[in-house]
Amino acid sequence: MKVGLFIPCYINQLYPQVAIATLELLEKLDVDVSYPSTQTCCGQPLGNSGYEEDSKGACQLFVENFKEYDYIVGPSGSCIYHVKKHFDILEQTPDVIKVRNNAYELCEFIVKILGKIDLGAQFTHKVGLHKSCHGLRGLHLGSCSERMDAHFSTEEDLLNNVKGLELMSLTRKDECCGFGGTFSVFEEAISVKMGKDRIQDHLDNGVEVITGADHSCLMHLEGLINRNNQPLKVMHIAEILNSSI
Amino acid sequence: MGRAAILKSVKENKPTLVPLPKIDLNPFQENVDILETFKSNVKLVGGNIQELSQLSNIDSEVEKMYPNASEIISCIPESNLGTVSISEKTSPHELETVDLAIVKGEFGVAENGAVWISEEAVSTRVLPFISNDLVIILNKEDLCLHMHQAYKLISERKRNFGLFISGPSKTADIEQCLVIGAQGAMSLTVILT
Amino acid sequence: MSHSEKATIFNKNEAKVNWHNKALWFVREKRDTAAHKVKGWEYLRELASGIKANVLSNLDEYLVEFEKNALKKNIKVHWASSAEEHNAIVHKILADKKAKKVVKSKSMLTEECHLNSYLEEKGIEIIDTDLGERIVQLAKEPPSHIVLPAIHKTKEEVDELFQEHLGTTPSNGNPEYLTNEARKHLRQKFIEADAAITGVNFAIAETGGFVVCTNEGNADMGAHLAPVHIACMGIEKIIPKEEHLGVFLRLLARSATGQPITTYSSHFNTAAPGTEMHVVIVDNGRTEQLSREDFRSSLHCIRCGACMNTCPIYRRSGGHSYDTTIPGPIGSILSPGKDLKKHSSLPFASTLCGSCSNVCPVKINIHEQLYKWRQLVTKDVKQPFIKKSILKIAGIVLSKPKLFSLAGKSARFMLKYAPRFMVYSNLNAWGNARELPEVKNQNFDEWYKVKRKNHG
Repeated sequence: MKVGLFIPCYINQLYPQVAIATLELLEKLDVDVSYPSTQTCCGQPLGNSGYEEDSKGACQLFVENFKEYDYIVGPSGSCIYHVKKHFDILEQTPDVIKVRNNAYELCEFIVKILGKIDLGAQFTHKVGLHKSCHGLRGLHLGSCSERMDAHFSTEEDLLNNVKGLELMSLTRKDECCGFGGTFSVFEEAISVKMGKDRIQDHLDNGVEVITGADHSCLMHLEGLINRNNQPLKVMHIAEILNSSI
Repeated sequence: MGRAAILKSVKENKPTLVPLPKIDLNPFQENVDILETFKSNVKLVGGNIQELSQLSNIDSEVEKMYPNASEIISCIPESNLGTVSISEKTSPHELETVDLAIVKGEFGVAENGAVWISEEAVSTRVLPFISNDLVIILNKEDLCLHMHQAYKLISERKRNFGLFISGPSKTADIEQCLVIGAQGAMSLTVILT
Repeated sequence: MSHSEKATIFNKNEAKVNWHNKALWFVREKRDTAAHKVKGWEYLRELASGIKANVLSNLDEYLVEFEKNALKKNIKVHWASSAEEHNAIVHKILADKKAKKVVKSKSMLTEECHLNSYLEEKGIEIIDTDLGERIVQLAKEPPSHIVLPAIHKTKEEVDELFQEHLGTTPSNGNPEYLTNEARKHLRQKFIEADAAITGVNFAIAETGGFVVCTNEGNADMGAHLAPVHIACMGIEKIIPKEEHLGVFLRLLARSATGQPITTYSSHFNTAAPGTEMHVVIVDNGRTEQLSREDFRSSLHCIRCGACMNTCPIYRRSGGHSYDTTIPGPIGSILSPGKDLKKHSSLPFASTLCGSCSNVCPVKINIHEQLYKWRQLVTKDVKQPFIKKSILKIAGIVLSKPKLFSLAGKSARFMLKYAPRFMVYSNLNAWGNARELPEVKNQNFDEWYKVKRKNHG
């Protein structure tokens, strides 16, 4: 099984430690993983802004970079959701279909494809899980509070097997953080308010470290936490799962 | 303009026919105590429940609950409390000062504490709304589990007017504070016999 | 003003935002509790969605069937292509009856058609009898929520309003007192009314009858006291058979307020002897929405408001920020169909979190339609030059690896080394309330080349 590592553009530039953790984690799980260096972006920022047509070049490049792999794995629910859902604007060649079908968010890949939930990780902290919307409701990484389904959560399964980690319960289980891509800039007041409310929920429930499978949400929350000097750390779930293995 | 234009526009714009789903009632089947479920849901929606072993005791029961009611309309033969009599010919405006109405419910629905009241049961449509308080007499055996069964029960009725009533009138329009008693009846009591 | 501008103003009062947010979240929680009690809830939603999909695909036949059956029972049926026609038809019925005093129960359709102001100009008094609607009518405001019209008003504000218009004594916003005073005031209006106007929750093709659901009993107090009852409905309110009411009535109130059913679900099939019953069937842009393959399922809507209660943006910006008759998520996919330019900011007033689609009892894929409307907005509505240029350039850069690498390097260099005052200037909206990420010495490409160069 050959896995192509997909690293979202902003993680590449601004949070390389998340990319490193993802790569190291997959390698430790004996995955044959390589990183096509000519990758750029999945095109989501353009699609979400209404410029889907202009994103076709980026989407085509994505397919080119990843078409030879059995699986494409990336530490981002929203990007993977974009590939699976919105690459319908491309002509559906066998390569496009293959890429769309085999793109996986990291946690889902580990649990569903590798069949592992105990990764031997250790992280002795009180952790709050932010269930990013695209991963949750788009990729069905877990059950959501609106639907009357049996409870399940890919990220919780992984975190509950990390030694010393105490997963704290939040008041609003899966409310959006308010990032929303360009929404964070064009509807700044609401975006900030939504982020502040999420952070307060974590603080109210004794969380020390906020984690999740989407660093865009985490980047937004971290920006607020740092500006307001709040006693919280933010880490991508790949970094937690990769710790002390 | 109007009918022809609308129908033409619909014909031109509607999608290819999508078949009508058939309602399978199996997913809704459950083993619950229908009577207890009905009673607790009537209370949940702000109504009162009284259980009577015999319908002949109804007058003393109602007088106990509504001692101050002076203008009373009884639509059931078993009660003699009525001070005003009505028929289909009664003008609705005459009922403005009615304190209490006693009507017969055809059946109750356990899942939501609702009772079906037909036009025949009230003679004048406005009665269950305009009366200050409302008492519904219901037979314990006349209960079903959910609305799908309810619609089967009324499927052969004479279609003029009828309604499901679930609890007294209410509103939460002022800062989400629930207030019992809005424009319709201030209280609702279901007397089960 | 765009949604964003109005929302910014709304957010200046953080306490009010918290209060509004909490009030609506509470309704969402009540909905969850009620839905959990229903065995087969998700199947019920599936059925409702399937029934509505069938309705839209056979709408003309159902409308004709409805009319035929209604006429058989002596209900008069009128058809209006537009809001103007609707208003004229309603007015004609009233004028023919010399009706001067009218009571109206909740009807978003009549809001959409601006019926009240039309009739008032013609010298007809029209009183909204739903308590929330009466409050906003007295306040001369539009409703901010389709089910809870006055959710944006505190009880103290209502108290002042009633003191001024109803002559109540100051009560510090006592809800029982104020509701009771409203009851007395509205009762007078019901008694004196020459005509009653109601909405229609569901119209049944099979029987020619319709159902009106209320908690207050105001629709019925109007309809059964007045000699004329006019029921206004959008074409999409049709359902095929009476048995389908079982599905919809199980979903409606639970989705809207968390109640198992509204207090009154009144089934109208004929006019009471000596009275008249009219139904006005309205298009007003609905057949146009029907033509749009991507957006037609928005016509499934049964006006429950659940999407508004769950929407994190609606809760923090309020219904008035949308500047449209129906606000919130459903409004943001209905309104652009009517006026794309006016409502172009609405599809962007969302993070596309998808919560709305999950609470929708008729399974409208609201968040997906918001995404699709965005593509149409950028095509058909003139966009700010800078935004458009930046995004188009981004499209090019992202399709060329070398350009992307260069852009990434420059951006990181700027972020890392430019002085703070430059980075956090007024041009940087992100930086208003948030710190930018700390820039590391290498990006991942560079690290990978060094640490894993064997894989190239």
